[in-house]
Amino acid sequence: MAEQTINIPQLLAVLLVGFLAVRWYFSSPDPNGGGSSRGSNTGRTRPVDPAQVEQVAQMFPQLSRRDIMWDLQRNGGSVQATTERVLGGRSLEVPPPSFQPRDLTSSAPTSSSPPSSTPRSLHPDLITRYNLASKISSQQTSGNSPASSSNATTSQGQGQGQGWSQNKNERQQLLQRRREEMILAARRKMEEKDKATGADEGN
Amino acid sequence: MTSSVASKRLFQEYRTLTNNPPDGITAGPVSEDDIFVWEALIQGPEDTPFALGVFPAELKFPRDYPLSPPSMKFTCDMWHPNVYPNGNVCISILHPPGDDPNHYESASERWSPIQSVEKILISVMSMLAEPNDESPANVDAARMWREKRGEYERIVRDNVRKGLGL
Repeated sequence: MAEQTINIPQLLAVLLVGFLAVRWYFSSPDPNGGGSSRGSNTGRTRPVDPAQVEQVAQMFPQLSRRDIMWDLQRNGGSVQATTERVLGGRSLEVPPPSFQPRDLTSSAPTSSSPPSSTPRSLHPDLITRYNLASKISSQQTSGNSPASSSNATTSQGQGQGQGWSQNKNERQQLLQRRREEMILAARRKMEEKDKATGADEGN
Repeated sequence: MTSSVASKRLFQEYRTLTNNPPDGITAGPVSEDDIFVWEALIQGPEDTPFALGVFPAELKFPRDYPLSPPSMKFTCDMWHPNVYPNGNVCISILHPPGDDPNHYESASERWSPIQSVEKILISVMSMLAEPNDESPANVDAARMWREKRGEYERIVRDNVRKGLGL
């Protein structure tokens, strides 16, 4: 009996401390939250308006949507506050790993697969890259005559192999020409194939 | 010392590749002033969605080449299970021997000084035709290759056309 009466206050103390700890844990983000609206976002999380996230994301494409959502959620959905925060040079806080907004998770698969090809198309196509636009048009207008005339120098070298020159600059030019020919030939073939299968333009 | 060995070897490989270029491969230093940086063009293998495509890549050689392998990075849109989204190529011949703790690759597949730029480029060409599904570099592409082959091929074909400016 005596042992039990000692245990009950201990149990209560543990419960109290535990409750305070949990309470402190949930309310601790508030003090550094800019002091806008406290309390409303602690217990139940108000969903962030996706339109607002979009608005901020368009202004600051470098920010992660998750960070934006976190900030909006914490300041009670004020786009202005988030904007000012970013413009003020204060970076957005990194949300805790437990923060998993539904909008983000549902939109993640759609945004991850198709744009994976878009951000990578920073690469110019080969025609732009090697400045071949003029050569394409000359080929189209008059068969292969301009190309073959420029090949006159190559053909000398082609007697011995594909044209290794003892001269450094010449080598460089020959390599350049081989690259261009390879690209133009591939493009020509593709165009021929397109003409052949002109019916199914769907692709 | 070592770097002069490397540049001699690279120069010799450049000459071989110029005199006897393998089908569908053009490669050489971007500028001979720096023989440690090459550019290669690889043609897409026929009867694959990469067919008719020409894919540029950059090869960077270490100063101790051929002891260490070069790195290779496609400088075009390349949607392939074994090519990282940034273009880096992940293929066993580019891995130094003894580098693979998982033993996916046997030592003979990996880099050694008896390999060459030509062998790398030919390996990459056949990699385009036959992706290696183990340890993919581009997980999304690998999954698509496995599960939605049609979509995968469509992206590849689109990239081929884009690359040719069509």
